[in-house]
Amino acid sequence: MSERPFFVFPKWSDWLTKVFVISTLIIPIYLVILIAYGCSARTLNVNYAPKQPVPYSHAFHAGKLGINCEYCHTDVKRAAYAALPPTQTCLNCHSLIAAKSRKLQAIRNSYGTGKKSLAGLSVPWIKVDDLPDYVYFNHEAHVNAGISCLVCHGKVNEMTRVYQAKPFNMAWCLNCHRNPAPYLRPRNEVTNMSWTGKNKVKLAKDLGLTVATLPHNLGKYLMKRYHIPSVKLLTDCETCHR
Amino acid sequence: MKRKTRNFYIYVNIGLLGLVPFGLICLARHERTTTPRWAIIQDMDKQPYYKPQRPSTLFADGRAMRPHIPGTLAQQDFIYVNQAQVRAHPHNWAKGHVVLKNKTLYDSVLYGQKLVHGQGQWLTHIPIPVTKRFVERGRTEFNIFCEPCHGYNGRGNGTVNRWDERLRKDGSPDAGTWVPPSDLLGPGVKFLSDGLIFNVISNGVGTMASYKDQIPVVDRWAIVSYVRALEKSQKVVPVSKLPYPIRHSLKSLPAKTMGNGKKK
Repeated sequence: MSERPFFVFPKWSDWLTKVFVISTLIIPIYLVILIAYGCSARTLNVNYAPKQPVPYSHAFHAGKLGINCEYCHTDVKRAAYAALPPTQTCLNCHSLIAAKSRKLQAIRNSYGTGKKSLAGLSVPWIKVDDLPDYVYFNHEAHVNAGISCLVCHGKVNEMTRVYQAKPFNMAWCLNCHRNPAPYLRPRNEVTNMSWTGKNKVKLAKDLGLTVATLPHNLGKYLMKRYHIPSVKLLTDCETCHR
Repeated sequence: MKRKTRNFYIYVNIGLLGLVPFGLICLARHERTTTPRWAIIQDMDKQPYYKPQRPSTLFADGRAMRPHIPGTLAQQDFIYVNQAQVRAHPHNWAKGHVVLKNKTLYDSVLYGQKLVHGQGQWLTHIPIPVTKRFVERGRTEFNIFCEPCHGYNGRGNGTVNRWDERLRKDGSPDAGTWVPPSDLLGPGVKFLSDGLIFNVISNGVGTMASYKDQIPVVDRWAIVSYVRALEKSQKVVPVSKLPYPIRHSLKSLPAKTMGNGKKK
């Protein structure tokens, strides 16, 4: 008869194994996946659509009427910040069309033809696509490098109320900074929301080339033509954070 | 029920319950929210400095940005270089920089006027060298700022005008007091001097608003050049009416450059 072992777990202690496996393996893995999914930038940031003081519809003005983005956001090619238009820009048309509309009350207040106490004050628009304060995004640099509005802001010409379309987290930015070529297009097609680049004749016209001399790889060609810096510089900390 | 089967069902139910949070997150991802993201850790996202166009309690008008003081100009708006340098660096236009050599040029570029015997006279030419690139820039700017009213061809039937016509047809009160924009190719504009057209773009006329805040000075001149180009393009003469040498040289060109009449 062999010797009795020093210690044997009693039969009732089997449930401890189950508790151990569940608490150290299944629950942590479950929580990690849940938090990663629930707190991802895509979940938290996208689809933020604040109610604006004026129910301005990009879908109507930019989409249906086809007014160019730059008609209102005039500074986008020249400045780091794509400014919201002054009240005057709205009144270029709305002093004549729909001048008495109830929806335009905030515009009239700002212009001085509405409530006297609000005359001369800005319309309190709410910023939708906002980056953290430690990121120094430059619209001028991106637009002149052939990055379309679409890449960051989504199809604004289909938005009745503007919402945040992209997550705007650093991984998302780096996606393009690491490989910008596929996101590029000719500079003068930047505000064109339906550009595909498949129309060779139009593309050649945009680039000042002929169809026969069109580059085989448009992205690579534009990288060179617009002097887009190397990936090393594009992914340098100081490029976006100062 | 056997103990094993009972346990099995308990596990399945717990597993299904565990999927509920994922479902809720999935819903949240596809819903528009009017409240900004909720952050436990702020990560220096909001720092105590002013970005452009943000509100401030410091000033009575509630803006952090200070408006232009009337009668002053921002320093970067004007660089004094001679015109040869402008030709060498046309990208200066992109910045909206006005390039000025002297006081006379200053008046002419900025106001479209020149002094004749102490009196202002509208310029009859564009005071900036007109190149192909300059006119093309004018086309780009024209298609952005003028097209909504005057249309791509300048005939005065832009998208906004067409929309107003539709409102008027429907009897909507929104049609308002809209006046159809003028035909830029008609005699009304054709016989205006370049300086005067520039002035109309800058300061508006009739129901047309001032565009000097929206379009930089050089781009306004570029638009004038493009309007002139549009006017020229209207003088179409059939090939058969051309003098023989020109007609002959046109015929010898390949069909591609002549245009085959097909729309792309």
